[in-house]
Amino acid sequence: MGEKNEVWQGTLALMVLRTLETMGPQHGYGLARRIEQTSGDKLQLNYGTVYPALLKLEQEGYIRSHWGASENNRKAKFYELTAAGKRRVRKAAEEWEQTTEIVARFFVSAEEA
Amino acid sequence: MRTLRAMFLRLVGLLGRGRDDFNAELDSHLEMHIDDGLRAGLSKEEARRQALIRLGGAEQARQSYRERRSLPGLERLLRDLRFALRTLGRHPAMTAIAILSIGLGIGANATIFSMVSRFVLRPAPVGDPATLLSLHIGEKDQQCCNSFNPPIYRDLRDQATSFASMAAYYEMIPASLSGGGKEPERAWGQSVTTNFFDMLELGMVMGRGFASSEDRAPVVVLSERLWRRRFHGNVQIVGRVVQLSGHAFTVIGVAPGSFHSVDQILEIDFWVPLGVSAELVANLPPQDARDWHWLAVVGRLRAGVTREQASAELNTLAQRFAAAYPATDKDNSFLFEQAGSLPPRMRSAVLLFLALLGLVVVLLLAIAGMNVANLLFAQVAGRQRELAMHLALGASRARLRGKLLLESVLLGVGGGLLGTALSVWATGALSSFHLPAPMPLNVRIGDDWRTLLYTFALSVIAGVALGLGPALAASRPKMANALKGEDGLSGGRRRLSLRSVLVVAQVAMSVTLLLLTGLFLRSLESAARIDIGFRPQGLAMLSVDPRLNGYTAMQTSQFLAQLRERAAAIPGVDAAVCTDVAMLSGGNRSEGFTVVGRSAKDNNVPTAELYMVTPGYFATMGTPLLAGHDFSGERAGGQKTAVVNKAFADRLFPGESPIGQLVNDGRWTYEIIGVSGNAKSRTLGEATRPILYRSLDQSLTEDPSLMGYTLLVHTRGNPAMLFEPLRREVYRLDPAMAIYNEETMEEHVRSAYFLPHLAAILFGVFGAIGLVLATTGLYGVMSYAVARRTREIGIRMALGARRGAVEQLFLRQGAVLTVVAIGLGWPAAWMVSRLVRSFLYGVEPHDAATFAVVPVLLAAVSLAACWIPARRAARVDPAETLRAE
Repeated sequence: MGEKNEVWQGTLALMVLRTLETMGPQHGYGLARRIEQTSGDKLQLNYGTVYPALLKLEQEGYIRSHWGASENNRKAKFYELTAAGKRRVRKAAEEWEQTTEIVARFFVSAEEA
Repeated sequence: MRTLRAMFLRLVGLLGRGRDDFNAELDSHLEMHIDDGLRAGLSKEEARRQALIRLGGAEQARQSYRERRSLPGLERLLRDLRFALRTLGRHPAMTAIAILSIGLGIGANATIFSMVSRFVLRPAPVGDPATLLSLHIGEKDQQCCNSFNPPIYRDLRDQATSFASMAAYYEMIPASLSGGGKEPERAWGQSVTTNFFDMLELGMVMGRGFASSEDRAPVVVLSERLWRRRFHGNVQIVGRVVQLSGHAFTVIGVAPGSFHSVDQILEIDFWVPLGVSAELVANLPPQDARDWHWLAVVGRLRAGVTREQASAELNTLAQRFAAAYPATDKDNSFLFEQAGSLPPRMRSAVLLFLALLGLVVVLLLAIAGMNVANLLFAQVAGRQRELAMHLALGASRARLRGKLLLESVLLGVGGGLLGTALSVWATGALSSFHLPAPMPLNVRIGDDWRTLLYTFALSVIAGVALGLGPALAASRPKMANALKGEDGLSGGRRRLSLRSVLVVAQVAMSVTLLLLTGLFLRSLESAARIDIGFRPQGLAMLSVDPRLNGYTAMQTSQFLAQLRERAAAIPGVDAAVCTDVAMLSGGNRSEGFTVVGRSAKDNNVPTAELYMVTPGYFATMGTPLLAGHDFSGERAGGQKTAVVNKAFADRLFPGESPIGQLVNDGRWTYEIIGVSGNAKSRTLGEATRPILYRSLDQSLTEDPSLMGYTLLVHTRGNPAMLFEPLRREVYRLDPAMAIYNEETMEEHVRSAYFLPHLAAILFGVFGAIGLVLATTGLYGVMSYAVARRTREIGIRMALGARRGAVEQLFLRQGAVLTVVAIGLGWPAAWMVSRLVRSFLYGVEPHDAATFAVVPVLLAAVSLAACWIPARRAARVDPAETLRAE
């Protein structure tokens, strides 16, 4: 476990939104597992923290939820992006690219120097 | 935006829905995770264990979900609030007494503050009131302040660059208003420069203000009050013609009802252009004289100019004018204050009065506060076990203090609500006082937002201040003692002494308060004994101003004579006379008089009050004639005659007879034909003033009254029954004649008692409240002392103490507290009473009776308050108390 990374503050929400965008409607457990898979199992989530994060996103109106049946026919609560959520993901992606680009320049120039 | 939305949802979450929803979601999460584990080949128990570990604990997840779902801080506060309300509800008597005490204290403060807010803080209801200034002329060695005249106003307007604009107005024009299908009425108006409404930035309810071309146009702006009262709020009023004193004026606008006048005291009902003043005012001062003072001026400060800069420029201009017009402007300076402030003439008296009342109500609140603090101490002492239990179970001291403070803040807010209700009632009652003045004044007081804010702040502060002591004490109990149910607050004697200090302070303050109350009650009593110099019983009066209907002096004289004749013929009427203004109307005319034939240096010049009367006046009023004779059939144009009062005679003719002497007021010479007894002229409290009565028919032509003329009728029956027939007679002579100031002389005199009455009522009420609060405080402390020492008393009695001795023990304790308190409060009142001197009628500020009787009274009341608990102590049954051990 020592090699696994903790989730950075604030990035969990973005990961949730992005995952919902690619996967479509998904329940909390599935989302958590998918995030871990996407990270190439480099991240280990405390599943208990996923639900307050989902609640916050829902309160902010980026996602909505409804009860449905899981693939194994279990009752589960599904989350999906709202229109505002979709806009948020797009904007976050742009910002992320910009940020990484800027930070990357520093590291590149440091090496060149 | 998103945050706001989330906040709102979390607030909704407080209501507690959706808890089960998350449990179901958590269950489904675990089931799915366990399914995966089983598929990976784990045992059921192991799969479940793993799932719970990865979840980080079901309860923890629920906790963090809960915190996100709603607002935990707020939730805790609501829980504490419920708890506090429950606690207060468990002690209904204590809660009620505390809320009542604070409520009375805050109600008194709110009432006085609403007076301060109304007369001192409230800006004029004009646009941008902070930059609107009222200007005055100050004259060297004269009391503030004089009015302007057109030439000085024009010079100032044209030369002062600190002001963006200036307007001038003539403050008080009485007019007889007819039209609107009603009886004519007298209304008060102002004539104003045409930019008046524009520079006040006053939006019209309807129509418009004056255009710059209308300085001489017969147009009028009505007040919203007049428009609603007389024209029923007719929306087609603009363009209609109304008659003002017989002249036709076209209504062009209606000014908002919140605007009474720039000075916020006068109640003005119409405005006309300054250029038409002459049509409404018979003897308008000369337009171009620089030494007449009759115009009020307001100026709008130019943006970016400070008051200091404006003041400096006005000083420079005053010097320039003094150089240019040395004869008239030599000693002039210019002063200003924010428009709508108290008029400078009365400012210091009103401020002193309000400051005194403010002091009194703060005392009252302090007394009430100490009462409640004492109650809270007692209550906390009774709850030590409960509080110690909280601490023992792990509540932090800060949290405990918070809980206790919340309770006292709730008490404070409850008191604030009660206080607001009380002050709404009190301000309503105060507003119904009728001021003794010949023109309508607007002195209504109401609770405005300033008062509400003040009351709210005061109640929260009071709540915190009151709860702080008990809360601090309660959060540091001696745990071991407290849990055993013994006194854990402190080592016995010290705590009691803090409470004794509180009660001593409280009683001391109420001694001071009661002494002031005593002074004002004595003042009211002695005001009632003031010899006003006439007999108000059986007199009815009403006023008319025929001049306003275009009557000449001759016609006015005839009208009044006919009116007297017809009034005298009404059954039951035994005398009918006329005067210009009734006595005790707050002031009429006054002039300086010199004796004809005396050299200048022997001639001291007393200022005398001037009244016009008709023959029979003195007999009708019941004012005795001491020498000489009454007027009889004086004719206009003959030698002017006068009756002077005793004070006048004593001043100018000490030791000799004034009959036949000639006196001069600078314009006319009067022959004195009689001397009357003294009478109060302007106010009840005045030192006796010299008065000169002159013949109405001889004065009417050259020096008409600006306030109209008053018919005085005497009857043996009820004077109020005469108004109907008197009105009928007036309308039979002229149906367009406006009638005003219709009242009986007794009503009139009663309103002259306004100030002693008001002071006595306010101080009487406050003093009574203070006495009740302080006595309950004393009673509470003594009861508490008895309750605490029940066991001790039982032991004493078991050891042979007699009941009388026990009773005395507590009486002595109470007596010591009272004596100390009186010893502190008495000298304080002795010092403060000097401040109230100017509001007392015929009573010295160090009135011996008050300062002797009040302490005795208070000592008696407080001994009674101690006696009840002392009796209870004496009735303790030793067997019972000892068995309780």
